[in-house]
Amino acid sequence: MRFAIALLTAFGCVLSTAALAADEPFRPEAGKFPPLEKAHAYRGELVFVDHANRRGSIRVAGNGVFRRNDPHPFAMLPYGMVRYHGAPADLRDIPLGTVLHVRAYLPPDPQISAVPVLPVNNKDKDANHSRGIGIAPAENHVLLLEDEPSHCLREGLVWKLKELDLKNNEGMITASREPKAGADGKATEETLTFDAATRIWRGRECLAPADLIAEGIWPGSGKKSLGSQSVLLGLMWKPTPGAVFTRFHISEIWLDDAATQRAAQSQTETHRTFIRSRWMPAWVDTVEYGKFGRATVTATLFGGMDPALYADFQKRSAVLVNGAENTLKHTEGGTAGPSQMAARGSILDVTKLPGEVPLGSSGIQIRFETDLITEGLRPTRVVRIRPATWPDVHLPREEYLDSGNFSLEDRFPTPSIFPKY
Amino acid sequence: MKHFLLVLGYSFLVLGGCAASAEDAPFRPEVGKFPPLEKAHTYRGELVFVDHATRRGSIRVQGSGMFFRNDPHPFAMLPYGIVRYHGAPADLRDIPLGTVLHVRAYLPPDPKTSAVPVLPVNNKTLDANHNRGAGILPAENHVLFLEDEPSHCLREGLVWKLKDLDIKNNEGMIIATREPKQGRDNKAAEEKLTFDAATRVWRGKEVLGIEELIAEGTWPAEGKKSLGGQAVQLGITWKPTPDGIFTRFHISDIWLDDASMQRSAHHQTETHKAFIRGRWMPAWIDAVEYGKFGRATVTATLFGGMDAALYADFTKGSTAMMNAVENTLKHTHGAYGPGHMASRGTLQDVIKTPEEAPLGSSGIQIRFETDLIIEGIRPGRTVRVRPNIWPLVNVPREEYLSDGSTSIDERFPSPSIFTKY
Repeated sequence: MRFAIALLTAFGCVLSTAALAADEPFRPEAGKFPPLEKAHAYRGELVFVDHANRRGSIRVAGNGVFRRNDPHPFAMLPYGMVRYHGAPADLRDIPLGTVLHVRAYLPPDPQISAVPVLPVNNKDKDANHSRGIGIAPAENHVLLLEDEPSHCLREGLVWKLKELDLKNNEGMITASREPKAGADGKATEETLTFDAATRIWRGRECLAPADLIAEGIWPGSGKKSLGSQSVLLGLMWKPTPGAVFTRFHISEIWLDDAATQRAAQSQTETHRTFIRSRWMPAWVDTVEYGKFGRATVTATLFGGMDPALYADFQKRSAVLVNGAENTLKHTEGGTAGPSQMAARGSILDVTKLPGEVPLGSSGIQIRFETDLITEGLRPTRVVRIRPATWPDVHLPREEYLDSGNFSLEDRFPTPSIFPKY
Repeated sequence: MKHFLLVLGYSFLVLGGCAASAEDAPFRPEVGKFPPLEKAHTYRGELVFVDHATRRGSIRVQGSGMFFRNDPHPFAMLPYGIVRYHGAPADLRDIPLGTVLHVRAYLPPDPKTSAVPVLPVNNKTLDANHNRGAGILPAENHVLFLEDEPSHCLREGLVWKLKDLDIKNNEGMIIATREPKQGRDNKAAEEKLTFDAATRVWRGKEVLGIEELIAEGTWPAEGKKSLGGQAVQLGITWKPTPDGIFTRFHISDIWLDDASMQRSAHHQTETHKAFIRGRWMPAWIDAVEYGKFGRATVTATLFGGMDAALYADFTKGSTAMMNAVENTLKHTHGAYGPGHMASRGTLQDVIKTPEEAPLGSSGIQIRFETDLIIEGIRPGRTVRVRPNIWPLVNVPREEYLSDGSTSIDERFPSPSIFTKY
């Protein structure tokens, strides 16, 4: 009898633990790329950037008066990806005001969050003052941040322009976002503004509305049907009159694929140079220690970069590896540069991992051997890796931690930078 | 008599001492006066951080030492401070991070309310150690004038003359000199600048890449070539450099002809025009003559640096609105929009001063009669003015102060946002 009671009690404990675990909100774990379906998706205007700490603020679109929404802080996950103009990017590349699509999670570790930690159910709360719900989600650690053209290119969408209403080189366009192939009868039309500063990209050309008017493609004034012309749009937000809750603005129109590809190419080149100078981020999977400081390290390269960067990781090629913080700032070298204290070695293996690659991962794992392992190269820790063929350059002051001189706030930036509204 | 002479002599001594102290006191801009340009401290540096809503940011100031080691140096725009980008009026939010800017700045007018750190008056003469040299942290951090390279050159009648090219794999170096557009300057120092595959080349309506200049045969695919002193405008940024290079800048943009430069300037002008029409024209109050029951006639000087078309909208007899703002130019009106609490009235006069206006001033004074003067419209205070033909739109949350519930930190932002290195 006593045994039965004890057994029942044990089962009860196991069941309630499992139930509690199931109730626990999902947080990304160290060493695992989080599943995309667990991310919270939202959209908003980029309002503030602290690029050195990979964080910023977004005004999140809800169902209320958009302009009243407080800028909402976010931080990029170490493996978080930014895309701009259909290509890999960094926060510093994105103009303020750009509307971005976000996939984000709760803070993996609230204690060291670089942005405010909010109640888990914050996205369900009404923010009052006609702002609606969902404008301040607790899911502020970002896996994927992409502008409108990047979002459309990735999802196979285009904007179909229906109607134009124009006066004095500015006006409104009615358009719907639909699949590139075929029509979507359920796509909702959206009214967007444009003005004389809207850039129109056509092949190599950078045009303005005045040029399209001069060419007779757009009227000087009045309405015109645009016949569902397929384009890509760059969206941003500009102040709207009082009665308009949310309306976005067209900053750019790409009229053809050639123009889109050129924009993507330019951004790709910008980002390639950026990564080559800052080194490829990755995390450490395992470390096998040898003698006298030798070690073999297995690491997974983070995703979202141009293939040409991954192609530089070759078997038997030399590499340098540094520990980095979650902000991807190098922790070694200080003013002497990232190479000074980096672990050096050669790549023993470059493996393409089988199966579908989760977002955040490149799907590429490297094994490299070093003769002097440094602190920071430990399982689940973030590192930066430079193939020796990449240039050896010095990083600017705000992008490194000053050797042993840094404060705790340098390593783990606090949310105090963000104003409280 | 002896006594009287002693007292007289002592009085003269004290007066002389006061005059000498006043002369020795470092120059600070005064309320209600545009500071003389010759009193400004001039420097150049890379834009590293922007808090556009509060009109402040950080610049890595160029000194004589290792540029990459220089701490980002906080600066704040004076209320009448002017920003220029691509040869046209701009706001901080328009300037990409990394852009090299020319600065004219002063000591804080009022150290007590400074939004950036207040430094020792002689800070620009101090050696910053660690091979950084002197002058990289000037106390003169309240900016009257901020302009990128093309704006600086266009204003000063300068061009970059390209001497030599050294290229491989779509990147390399250009040797060039900055010289007067007309004639030659044999003393102009040659400067080495890098470029890469992301460098944009503007020609007429086209935006080209380096590989297109190669494909056209204008540049070689590899090797050196003399460029014969070709006159262009350059956009200059900074990218990390190898060890041993103290300071070397990077070419982000090349404008090959006047047409392309004018198109860029026009685009920026339109961007800024829309911006000012949405936020209203900043000005300061010269005088207020009070009438009865809240009536008043206000004399105000419009701030300078804007496109002429904006000033042209201020016409005698037209109606307008005027709102009080802070030194950050944020409206003080709260969530209902700047039009809600603004004083409304008519422009009785628009007067253009005959002599040359000091930098910061438009040289245009308006006399505005209202039937309900509001607090904040007082001599020396900053305001924003909207001719009623401008759209009445509502500005976003971070650009206004919230009614009476504003905290003192929102009105007078503290320097605490800036990282201490």
